[in-house]
Amino acid sequence: MMNRRMIYTLFLPLLVLLASCGMEQEVEVKLPPHESQLVVECYLEPGKPLRAVVLESVSYFNEPELPLVPDAEVFITYRGKRIKLPFSPVQNKQTGKYYTHRLSEKLDLQPGDVVGLEVKDGKGRHVTGTTTILGKVPIEAVEWKFNEKDKAYLLTSYQDDPNTENFYRYMVHRDSLTNSSDRDFISSDWLTNGQRVSHGSAYEYEEGDTLVVSLYHIEQQYYDFLGSVSDARNANGNPFAQPSRIVSSVKGGIGIFTNLAYNRKTVVITK
Amino acid sequence: MRLPAFAVYLFCLFTLFASDVFAQRTYSISGYVRGSEDALIGATVSVPELRIGAVTDARGFYTLQLPEGSHTLQATYIGYESTTRTIEVTDQNLTINFALLPANSQLREVVIEANSLQQKLNASQMSVETLTTREAKLLPALFGEVDLIKTLQLKPGVQSGGEGASGLYVRGGGPDQNLVLLDDAVVYNASHLFGFFSVFNPDAVESVELYKGGFPAQFGGRLSSVVDVKMREGNKERIGVTGGIGLIASRLTVDGPIVKDKSSFVLSGRRTYFDVFTRQINRLQEGKKDFNPIPDYYFYDLNGKANYKLSEKDELFVSGYFGRDFFGFNDADFQFGFDWGNKVGALRWQHKFNPRFQVNTTLSGSSYQYNVSNKIDVFSFNLTSDIRDLALKTDFSLLLDKGHTLQFGAMATKHNFTIGRLNFDSDDDRQSFAAGNDYEATEAAAYIADDFQVNAQLSLNYGLRLSAFNSGGKTYGALEPRVAAKYSLSENTSLKASYASMMQYIHLVANSGASLPTDIWYPSNDYVKPQRSQQVAAGISHLFGEGRYMVTNELYYKWMHRQIDFRDGANLFVNDNLEAEFLFGKGESYGNEVYLEKIKGRTTGWVGYTLSWSYRQFDDINGGRRFPTRYDRRHDLSVVVLHELSKRINLTGAFVYGTGNAYSLPVARFAFQDVQGKNATVVPVYSDRNSFRLAAFHRLDLGLVLKLKPKRGEADLTFSAYNAYNRRNPYFVYFEQVKNEEDDETLGFRAKQVSLFPVIPSVTYNFKF
Repeated sequence: MMNRRMIYTLFLPLLVLLASCGMEQEVEVKLPPHESQLVVECYLEPGKPLRAVVLESVSYFNEPELPLVPDAEVFITYRGKRIKLPFSPVQNKQTGKYYTHRLSEKLDLQPGDVVGLEVKDGKGRHVTGTTTILGKVPIEAVEWKFNEKDKAYLLTSYQDDPNTENFYRYMVHRDSLTNSSDRDFISSDWLTNGQRVSHGSAYEYEEGDTLVVSLYHIEQQYYDFLGSVSDARNANGNPFAQPSRIVSSVKGGIGIFTNLAYNRKTVVITK
Repeated sequence: MRLPAFAVYLFCLFTLFASDVFAQRTYSISGYVRGSEDALIGATVSVPELRIGAVTDARGFYTLQLPEGSHTLQATYIGYESTTRTIEVTDQNLTINFALLPANSQLREVVIEANSLQQKLNASQMSVETLTTREAKLLPALFGEVDLIKTLQLKPGVQSGGEGASGLYVRGGGPDQNLVLLDDAVVYNASHLFGFFSVFNPDAVESVELYKGGFPAQFGGRLSSVVDVKMREGNKERIGVTGGIGLIASRLTVDGPIVKDKSSFVLSGRRTYFDVFTRQINRLQEGKKDFNPIPDYYFYDLNGKANYKLSEKDELFVSGYFGRDFFGFNDADFQFGFDWGNKVGALRWQHKFNPRFQVNTTLSGSSYQYNVSNKIDVFSFNLTSDIRDLALKTDFSLLLDKGHTLQFGAMATKHNFTIGRLNFDSDDDRQSFAAGNDYEATEAAAYIADDFQVNAQLSLNYGLRLSAFNSGGKTYGALEPRVAAKYSLSENTSLKASYASMMQYIHLVANSGASLPTDIWYPSNDYVKPQRSQQVAAGISHLFGEGRYMVTNELYYKWMHRQIDFRDGANLFVNDNLEAEFLFGKGESYGNEVYLEKIKGRTTGWVGYTLSWSYRQFDDINGGRRFPTRYDRRHDLSVVVLHELSKRINLTGAFVYGTGNAYSLPVARFAFQDVQGKNATVVPVYSDRNSFRLAAFHRLDLGLVLKLKPKRGEADLTFSAYNAYNRRNPYFVYFEQVKNEEDDETLGFRAKQVSLFPVIPSVTYNFKF
C-alpha cells in the first residue's frame, strides 16, 4: 500500500545521487546512559510449541553480544491456565532463529480466543500483552505473466472480508523459507474493504523459480509494530525522516506478542 | 476589551484626518524614478533647500508635499547620475518622473542595497531585509546558480534548513510559515530539486523584501515571514537580451517595448540539463552487467511580465510564472514519473485618483501540484495532490497631511485543495480502488494602517487586520493588531519597537526536515484550528562613518500557538482520515540579531550575527517535554564582502558559521528476529526529540566577476568556489553496523557523518545586449 515508506523509496535515487557527490566520515557520538528495557518476541501458532525470545535493549555502541536475560520468567495465560515457559536458550541451525524460553506444550487455539503474556525479571521489570487469535485468509490465486525478456511478474490475489477491519502481511520467498524474503510488506483494507485484492511484483522472476507465497492475516497491533520498526530503521540514515517511536504490542517493554494465521502456497514459475 | 477599542480609535483617526486632506495649502509632487530598464526602488527625491525628501517605494513611486513656489527637485540613486529639475508649484498637484542614467556599469554592480542607510534608519518599519538581484548576482553561488532566497539566508535571523537547501527558517518559524509572494500572488512551493534551488530566476526578478517581524497590516496568512518578490519590468526603450550559461542550467531573457513609452514586456526562461548528460551515460552503459540506469531529472521555469500604461492615471501589469520539475524512470516494463510545480498569474491595475491617493487592485491565481504515476504491465497507479487559489485584493494608499499616510484594503481568496488523490487500476478490471479528499475554503481579510510622523523624532505605524476563514462549515475570525514605532535619539541613532499578531489558516502537511515536493497544504476546519503567533521586537540602529556604516541590534520574542506536528509513523500520503494524524502544540522562539552593513565605497558588505533559541512542545511528542526545533541555532554568523578590485574585476566572499542542527539519534538498539528468524536486524530506539547536535557548520564561498569586452553589449564571466576550503559540513549522521566481510558477523557499531558538497568550482558566462 502507498505509504510513507514507499515515498521514501521514490527519493532513493536522489539519496544515491547525493551520496555519489557526498562524503562520509566516522564521527564520535556520545550517547547518554540508557536504561535497558525488556524486549519480547512471541508468536503463537496453532499446533506449534510455545516459544518466546526475551532479550533487552542495549546502548547503541555496546559490544554486539546477545543480551540475554536469564532470570526472566515468561508465562502464557490461556483459558484461565497460566503456563510457564522455562528459560532454555536454543538456536535452530537451519533457520538461525533462536528462542530463550520454550515449552513443547501445544495449545488448541481457535479464532477469537484471547491469550495473555506476562514477562518479569529480577530487576522488577514487568511486561504484559494479549493477542486475539485470527482466522486464515485463503490465497485465491497465484499467477504470473512473462514479458519479452522472459521475466515474469507475480500476482497474488485474495478476498477481503467486508465485515471486519483487516490487516495483512504478504511475503514471497525463493526456494525456501530459510532464505531471506524477496517481498515483504504489510497492508490494511482501508482502501480495499470487501474487494478482491491483488499484490503484484516487478518483472523479476524466471522460468523454473520456486516461490513460497505467504499471506498472513495479522492483528492491527502487529501491523503497527512492524510499521514502526520499519520507520525506525528508515529514520537511521534518512535525512528526510523523522525519528519514529516503536509501537509495541506489549506494555512495560518493547516487543510483539501476536499470533500467526497464514495461508501459504508454493509455485514453480513456468511458461 | 482592548482590540475593539483600538479598532474604533483607528477608525476615528481615519475619519478625522481624511477631512484634513483638503484643508492644507501644500501640493503633492509625485511620480516615478526609473533607471534605464526598471523602476528604482529606494531612490531619493529631495528638495535640498527645504530639507524635504522622499524615497521611492517598491514600484519606484514617490510623493512629496511642497508649498507654493519655485523648488529644485533632486533625484539620486547609488550607481546612477543624480538629476535635478526645477519646478513651479502654483495651485495644483504635479507629476514629475525621473529617468536616471547609470554612472558607470561597474559602480552599479557593487550596489549592496537599494535602500539608503539613512532611509532605513528613519523608517518606522523594522525587521525587514531588502535584496536586489544585482547584489545576489555578484555573490558566489552553489553550482554558479544565483539564488535570491539563499542570499537571504545570509541575513541575520534567517536560517537554512541544511546545506544547499533554499528553505527559509525565520526567527524560529518553520518553512511552512513563510508567505511567499511573486508580484502579489502566492507561491506555494518555492523550490526546485527537493529544495536545493528556489523557483526564482534571478534574471526575471527585480528585488526581494523579507519581513521577519513588525509585519505591515496588508500582509497576513502566515506566522513567521513575508517574502515579497517583485519581477522586473521590461525595457521601455529597446529590445534587450540577457542570458547565462552555467554548469547545470542556462537561462535566457528577452525584454523590450510593446508600444514605445506605453508598454513593455519581459519573458524569461531557465532549464537544467542534468538529463542530457545522464541519458548519454545511460546510452553508453546500456547492456552492461550490474548497470542501473540513472533516472531522468530536470526542471524548468518561465516568467513573464507585461505592463501597459492606459493613461497618466492608470496602468496595467500582467505577471506569470510557470515551473515544473520532472523525475522519471522508464523502460519497457516500468514507467515511473514524478512531477511537480507551480503556476502563478497576476493582473494588477494601478489607478491614481490624484497624487495623494492611489489604489492597486490585483486578481491573481496560484496553484501547486505534484503527481506520482507508475505503470507496470496492466496495472497503473497515480497519486496527486494540489492547491488552487483564486484571489482578489485591493490596496489603497492615501497621503494625508500632518504626517499621516493611510494604507487600507481588503482581500478574498478561494482555496481548493485536493489531498492525496489516489487511483489504482488494472486494465483487466482485476483491481481498482481510489482514495483522496477535496476541500474548499474561503479566506478574507480587511486592514487599515497609518504611518504617522508624529514629530521629528517619533514616527508610528499602527494598524489592524481583520481576517476570517471558512471551510467545512466552520468559520474562524481574528483581529491582528500591528504596531511599530521609531524614535530618533539623534540624527544618527534610532530606537525601534514593534508588535505583530499573525494568523495562519492553511497548514503544510510535512513530516520531514526538508522541503519535499510531496508536502501538501491542508485547510483549517472543525478539528484543525488556525495557527497564531505574536511577536515583539525592539532594536537600536546607529549610523556612523559619514553614513557609510550602520549597525543594528534587534531583540525578538515570538509565541506560536496551535503549532502542528504529526504522530510517529503517520501516513501523510494516502489517508482519508488525515486529521487523525495531526498533533497540536505550542512554540516559542527568541533571540538577538546584530547587523553591521556598509553600502558605499569600493569595499562593501555586511556582518550578521544571531543568537537564538527555538522550541516546540506537544503533549504526544517527546513525553510532553519541550524540545528544540531542528533548526534551533544558538549562534549564526555571516560575513559578506564585495570588493571592486578594478573597473573590470569584482571580488566577493561569503563566510557562514552556525551551530549544528538539533538532531535525533537512537540511544539504544534491540535485535528483532521476526517470524522466520533469518538475519535478525538491529532496530534503533530513539529517545528525546532533537537532543543531539550535529557538528558546527562553516563554509567560505569565493567569487570573481570578470567583465569582458564584447563587440556588442555587455558580458562577464562569474567564477565561484563554493566551500572554498573544502569543509566537510554535516548533512546528517547515522549509525551503522561494522561487519566482517568474510562471514558477515557483526563486529561493532559506529557513527557516520554524511556531507553533501565538497569544494565546488563553477563558472558562468553572462551576457546582455
